[in-house]
Amino acid sequence: MKEQIPAIQTEALARIAEAADERSLEDVRVGVLGKKGTLTQAAAGMRDVPKEDKAAVGQLLNEARTAITAGIEEKKAALQALADEKALEGIDVTLPARELAGGGLHPLTLIKDEAIGILRRMGFSLAEGPEIEDEFHCFDALNTPEDHPARNEKDTFYFDSGKLLRTHTSSVQIRTMETAKPPIRVIAPGSAYRRDEIDATHLSVFNQLEGLFVAEDVSLPDLKGTLEYFFHELFGAETDVRFRPHFFPFTEPSFEIDVKLTIKGQAPRWIEVAGCGMVDPAVFESINKGRKDELFDPEKVTGFAFGMGLDRLAMIRWGIKDIRLLIENDVRFLKQFA
Amino acid sequence: MNVSLNWLSTHLDVAGKSIQEIDDLLTFAGVEVEGIEAKGVSSEKIVVAQVKEAVPHPNADRLKVTQVDCGEDGLRQIVCGAKNYKVGDKVPCALPGAALPGGFTIGETVMRKVESKGMLCASSEIGLPEGEDGLMILPEDAEIGKPVKEMFDSDTLFELEVTPNRPDLLSHYGMAREWAALLETPLKPLEIPERKRTGETAIKIESPDACPLYTAVRISGVTVKDSPAWLKERLEAIGLRPINNIVDITNYVLHEVGQPLHAFDCAKLTGGIVVRPAKEGEKFVALDESEHVLAPEDLVISDESGAALALGGVMGGLDSGVTETTTDVLLESAYFTPQGIRRTSRKTALSSDSSYRFERGVDPQGVLSASDFAVKLILELAGGTAAEATEVAGEAPVLVQPVKLDAAKLDQLMGGSISLDEAGAILTRLGLKDLGDGMWEVPSFRGDLLRHIDLVEEIARVHGLANVPSRFLGAFVPTSKVDAGYDADMMLRRRLAALGLYECQTIKLISDAQMIDALPLRPLMDGDVIRVALPLSEDHAVMRPSIVPGLVASAERNVRQQAKSLRFFEMGRVFRNAGGGKAKDQESDSLAILLSGPTAPAGWSADADAADLYDVKGLLAALLPGKAIKFQPRARDGFALACDVKAGEQNIGVFARLLPGRERALDFSDPVFVVELDLGKLRKLLTGTAHVEELPQFPGSSRDAAMNVSVATANADIEKVLEKCGEPLLVDFKCFDVFTDPTGEKLAADRKSVAYRFHYRAADKTLKQKDVDGAHAKVLEALTKKLGVEFR
Repeated sequence: MKEQIPAIQTEALARIAEAADERSLEDVRVGVLGKKGTLTQAAAGMRDVPKEDKAAVGQLLNEARTAITAGIEEKKAALQALADEKALEGIDVTLPARELAGGGLHPLTLIKDEAIGILRRMGFSLAEGPEIEDEFHCFDALNTPEDHPARNEKDTFYFDSGKLLRTHTSSVQIRTMETAKPPIRVIAPGSAYRRDEIDATHLSVFNQLEGLFVAEDVSLPDLKGTLEYFFHELFGAETDVRFRPHFFPFTEPSFEIDVKLTIKGQAPRWIEVAGCGMVDPAVFESINKGRKDELFDPEKVTGFAFGMGLDRLAMIRWGIKDIRLLIENDVRFLKQFA
Repeated sequence: MNVSLNWLSTHLDVAGKSIQEIDDLLTFAGVEVEGIEAKGVSSEKIVVAQVKEAVPHPNADRLKVTQVDCGEDGLRQIVCGAKNYKVGDKVPCALPGAALPGGFTIGETVMRKVESKGMLCASSEIGLPEGEDGLMILPEDAEIGKPVKEMFDSDTLFELEVTPNRPDLLSHYGMAREWAALLETPLKPLEIPERKRTGETAIKIESPDACPLYTAVRISGVTVKDSPAWLKERLEAIGLRPINNIVDITNYVLHEVGQPLHAFDCAKLTGGIVVRPAKEGEKFVALDESEHVLAPEDLVISDESGAALALGGVMGGLDSGVTETTTDVLLESAYFTPQGIRRTSRKTALSSDSSYRFERGVDPQGVLSASDFAVKLILELAGGTAAEATEVAGEAPVLVQPVKLDAAKLDQLMGGSISLDEAGAILTRLGLKDLGDGMWEVPSFRGDLLRHIDLVEEIARVHGLANVPSRFLGAFVPTSKVDAGYDADMMLRRRLAALGLYECQTIKLISDAQMIDALPLRPLMDGDVIRVALPLSEDHAVMRPSIVPGLVASAERNVRQQAKSLRFFEMGRVFRNAGGGKAKDQESDSLAILLSGPTAPAGWSADADAADLYDVKGLLAALLPGKAIKFQPRARDGFALACDVKAGEQNIGVFARLLPGRERALDFSDPVFVVELDLGKLRKLLTGTAHVEELPQFPGSSRDAAMNVSVATANADIEKVLEKCGEPLLVDFKCFDVFTDPTGEKLAADRKSVAYRFHYRAADKTLKQKDVDGAHAKVLEALTKKLGVEFR
């Protein structure tokens, strides 16, 4: 017995060392430690061991079991480590990706969302109005009566019903003031339409962002601060912003806003980005007449309005030379904004 | 409007002002400078050359090899293609290094193997007005070698956009008056001797509203001929074509003082002038030979014979104008009211320099002085004798009145950035007079200054917004429904982008041909489609009732660029009438999706399959998590596989595949699936308040079952039975396999095996096996009973 146990141990450890995979290792375990395993059978021979030897043989048995079990575990770990190593071998990390479908937002959405984000932070909320408008909301109420030289029907899409496609989002100013009451602080992104042939710089359907602030004591400093801040946020705090006097029938005084920007490969230059002005009292009077109240009494409230072309802002922001790229939806173009 | 700096300089001194300073001055005065063009010969290297020899080019039939004398040592050899010159002529020669308009610089070249050391030029090639065909022939006495530049005046032409509220700027004198005010520089007064006036006249004004003032001067014995050089140059400088001295004078006066004039040939008049409304249906042939049918709201200038000689203030008639044979003229100067002119100009589509000014409003006080000015010039340049007095009918309307400048309101609007004195100084510079007590007298040429705010505009304009402080304040306002909708839209957009779709923007005006792809939420009835009355082209004639046609067109464009995986969406307005055009126009917002081709880009490992219907469903499920997306078949003309899309029980849109024939016609190689969803409903689904469901406290248990059913049985039928079976422990079920065998070997060809996993759970306890078995048996029994399925 005293010789048999060390022999079993030696043989078992030798077989463990030889085992090339987990299966042969398991064979060793079953063959040695299993029910009919050699060591198990040897242990069964304990009852025949003389009493005085029992302690020594028992110790041998325990030592053998411990050593073999440890050997198996160790080998198991070694085999696993080998397998793990093998599993990581031969992986060419430089092969290209298994791509997922790419997607992204349209640049017009991106610039619109950025502009809206800035203005909402400044406390404006969103408003909207119909794109199929009537002459009243698109022209008359905006102090542009039928015989006004600024009213250009030639550039307007009409319907047989006499309605028209709004030529600017300024009609939303009227829609808003008809139902809300001061203070009003709204922005309205939306489409506008012009009977223009589509070319590199014109679309017959384009996108504008309108703004209106009406309250007591709204002044030119408010208009200037608001729009300066907006364009500084949009184009950078260092951007020069200037206000050029202009004319719009529905604001007085009116201004156009230029920002000085460097478009790739060009010298910095003033680029027109928006129109704005103080709401003309005639607009308030028309609103009061329609509402049959005096909530927009021009003696009490003042306001400013502004409007800008989102397509144009997108073109400036990304150096897009042909506006048609914005409606052609070529994936090679859209990808660049993803 | 074109303004010549030379012309303008006759009224004020702008010497010492750079072009850039003038540009800024105008820009900040509210006049947009659209272009600045230097006129005249710009390069010193364009010199007078005499052609000494011209022989045929050895290698080109149309070219000649010339030897020219440019005042240098020896002659210069230049190849030239012109034919209009002869040896001995003097012509402009651009020497190497000369920069020509259009941005190219002359160099020494070899043309067909013959050296050419410069270029002989036509007038238009060196920045001078278009001359005869071929080279510009210079006067015989031109000094050889002298820069051509020194022989011609240079000028700067400003192309200005004057806003509609400032008709007073639509002339050189008017513009000079504004510059003088802004520059605080003296304006040279116009010296026009005033003629005698008489109210004794044969002029009859029958439409005093449309024409409150009409004046006429008869001048007899004039000689109609070419204008003198100075007058021609003035007109040519601003892009006008000289015609004859009489017509040129009327044009000159218009551009000098802004008052349109008209000269009639007295030989073509019968008796006195009658200013009258047109007769209904009256025909009129304008100077430009266009024919018009008039109505009583149009104003005609006629004579006692009743013939319409001119469309008042808009355009003269074809037959009444001044020609070479004219000896006696009648010079009209009048005030026509803007509204009438605009109406007629718009209706007849006739627009002229005259109508442009009348419809904006001319200075009523300038009508007679302009006439006086023109008479003086006619007598000087065409001879003849003018009637002793100018005939005047009617009266100049008074369009301005004193306006009050409210100091408190000025202060409020300007944010206290300007004192009342400074504001007053600005108004004074602009020609207004302080009447005291805040009242200001407005000059007659400023008909746009009628209200307090109009004065404020002038003050703000001249003061400049640069001198106004910025204020960063604003009222607090509540967010709106539109805000909530916008946020929902952006969330959907970002989800769709993350799911691998590109957002598109397409034009909302589509063509009739594209209507075949329209998939509106409800099928269109006759009269539902909204068309624009006068489309620009057939391609943009219909307001889109659906976004799908735009997406199909975008996908098609990408297919042409070899794109394979087409995954697009667009959000926006769609338009239709409701109920066959009976109800009013309806606008709503839609979300459209298009999927076609591989669901992922091809790569080195296995390629993704082409998208199918279930990918679309999966996409919608991911877009609206937690909402049971169901497709319920409902046929649509022109589409395959059309279904209503439901979220739970709510109809939210339409799904379909393009007809295979349409796909082939558009060169799609894979099926094209499209969805149009009601964005309004999606917003509600996304913004509704959700309550958290408590998590289950006890484990559940699953059972699988495969049922053998007819291939015709829809999955929806199975789901319907399960939803209605009333087993309280059944909390979830899901189809996980569908097996068919068209060969009939493993399963009859007309049957399919549908495998489901059922999940059972109680809220208040852990289920025992027998409870689960009992519930499962009930569920299977319901399926057997309702659908006759067999379980395997």
